[in-house]
Amino acid sequence: MKRFVLAIAAIALVVSGVAAQGTIKIGGIWTLADITGKQGSAAAQLAVDEINAAGGISGKTLQLIVVDDEGKADKAAAAVEKLATVDKVDVFVGGMASGAELGKIPSFKKYNKVVMSTGAAGSATVEKALGPSPESDFYFHLHPWDYNQGASYAEGWDAIQKKYPNVQIKKIFLAYEEGAFGKSSWDSTKILFGADKRYTIDGAPFKSALLGGGDYTAVLEAAKAFKPDLFLWAGYDADALPLLEQSKAMKFSPGIYLGAPPGWPIGFGSSRLANNVMLYGMWSTAMNDTNAQSKKFYDAYVKRYREEPATYFALLAYDAVKILANGIKAAGTTETAALVKALEATSYASALGETITFKPSNVIKHQGITRQKILQWQGGLQEVIWPFEAATAAPVYPFPAWK
Amino acid sequence: MALKRRNLIISVFALAATAALLLWRPTVLIYGLQAAGLYAAIAIPMGLVLGIVHIVNLAHGEFMMLASYATYFTCKALGMDPLIAIVPTAIVTAIFGWIIFQLTIRRALKAPELNQLILTFGIAIVFSQAINLVFTSQTYKMPLDYVSASMDIGELTFGIWSFVFVAAAILFAGGLNFFLKRTTTGKAALAVGQNPKGAAIVGIDVYRTYGLVFALAIALVGAMGALFLTKSAIFPTVGSPFTMKSFCLVAMAGVGNIPGILSASVLLGLTENFLRAFRGSREWADIVFFVLIIVVIMSRSLKGRKS
Repeated sequence: MKRFVLAIAAIALVVSGVAAQGTIKIGGIWTLADITGKQGSAAAQLAVDEINAAGGISGKTLQLIVVDDEGKADKAAAAVEKLATVDKVDVFVGGMASGAELGKIPSFKKYNKVVMSTGAAGSATVEKALGPSPESDFYFHLHPWDYNQGASYAEGWDAIQKKYPNVQIKKIFLAYEEGAFGKSSWDSTKILFGADKRYTIDGAPFKSALLGGGDYTAVLEAAKAFKPDLFLWAGYDADALPLLEQSKAMKFSPGIYLGAPPGWPIGFGSSRLANNVMLYGMWSTAMNDTNAQSKKFYDAYVKRYREEPATYFALLAYDAVKILANGIKAAGTTETAALVKALEATSYASALGETITFKPSNVIKHQGITRQKILQWQGGLQEVIWPFEAATAAPVYPFPAWK
Repeated sequence: MALKRRNLIISVFALAATAALLLWRPTVLIYGLQAAGLYAAIAIPMGLVLGIVHIVNLAHGEFMMLASYATYFTCKALGMDPLIAIVPTAIVTAIFGWIIFQLTIRRALKAPELNQLILTFGIAIVFSQAINLVFTSQTYKMPLDYVSASMDIGELTFGIWSFVFVAAAILFAGGLNFFLKRTTTGKAALAVGQNPKGAAIVGIDVYRTYGLVFALAIALVGAMGALFLTKSAIFPTVGSPFTMKSFCLVAMAGVGNIPGILSASVLLGLTENFLRAFRGSREWADIVFFVLIIVVIMSRSLKGRKS
């Protein structure tokens, strides 16, 4: 009997070893209760399934193992530990909030496996924690850092004013939620737009509905008194429509009304108030008409999950898996040094409408996307206004007065 | 006599302050009253439960959140306006509240207060996590034209929709006052609140009364959930800050003092908006709320010790 059990165990070990040899494991970490994480992990699985359906990588199949970080740094760190030690993944993918990403960094450094990060814009926290090359060379950051975002907005508005001379921006008002996200937006806006005195900047905080607020009257009063050419609010999706409704009630209609939440509420575009509101982002369904990659992803995602990708984080996750797969194929291994070298040669035509390559950022060596887009809600769709090469519509300016 | 004189002084002072505010910053008064209406309308049902059932319902805001979600999806499915859904939502949430009371809270009424707090806190967590699981943290908001209704007085333009919360608060306070003082069930509820043992001796079914009062409070919170949906986006944790604010307002007003909740809400709404009107004090609005509570409760305690 003992011999029989030992034989079975030996066979099982051999079989599992063979199976493991034929599988490349990707550890995915997202906040699954959040729409960005839910759809990001779904899009990553879609990419894995497409690659496997096409024969995998050099005869090996990909396996995505997803762990929920619940948006918390401690859970995120535990997720890395579990994926690295229990599941023994070969590479990591995922991420959105900077706070949770920060929690992962020490464990990422400990295991030194390649990470394809899809989120975390906080340079003062995440990028600082990663540190310079070579200690952070395992980390490939797809999402722009906050200073990349700010610089691209400044570049975008300059380009728009040059191309459309009727667009005149002299005074900018930032309504920012009083948490860390809003405050860092306020600090970077002051530096980016206010430093060379080309623009007059003012701003005021508000308590986001997400954190128990939702009364924007005081901040809108301050903005109305300032008479800005560009009114920008940095808050969350819960603030989007109530802020517009209160703006209308107070008859506040600046030349440009722009929102910068991480995501927009479901059905926002169906509101009449949403029309001509501008936004920052990376992707919209309108790009399906101009970008074949975008349409291919969109159609596959909708067919599989019977819902639209709500934010660009789904596309980032999809691209992250595809880029990793290309890198592993080129390197012929998931061993870190070889894979890093292969990924450094990446030139990937993204569904986001640009070719992703990795270049040094202010601190790390492997930064992917650096530019965001300026978009505008027009007829229920997010149309790309800038960069002009990806534009799907011309801007509607000025923001029409409320009727 | 001294009490009358003191009340007169307070009234004159309040009127003078209101007139000065109206002349100097009318929007502080307008938006302050609107905020006060919202706070009071949500806090009054909690005051009712605390005053009669003697339980701090830490799931108070979560009941409102559930009602908002139920209203949102019903209205979406039927193409209905949330205002039409107020009464049906109130009825459904009342039944739900009664079931929750019978299944959980009733069994903890004789338990130590800490157990009761943990129980209702647990219910709050279950509600918000269940919604998070089903609907994720994605926010939902109904686009409604009438919430942007405004009024112009000279150069002043302000939104008027939020006055609906002032009306709701007055309606809730007046309605409850009528219910508790003029109806047999209400009088029985007051008796149970004041002396449950005495009420039981004279034949009042104490637990039935507790259940009814709890269901009534949840009906009011449910109605507020539907009304709240007109103004705000909803998400799984949208209710919890209102639990905290309601509890503080009830504490400020004193247990069972429904008119006191109205006054405390006005004080809070005006103070918050007054501070937000100045550049240097905008971020103090939340802190001053708790400072006010500490001051009120401490002065009440000192007065109690003196007398």
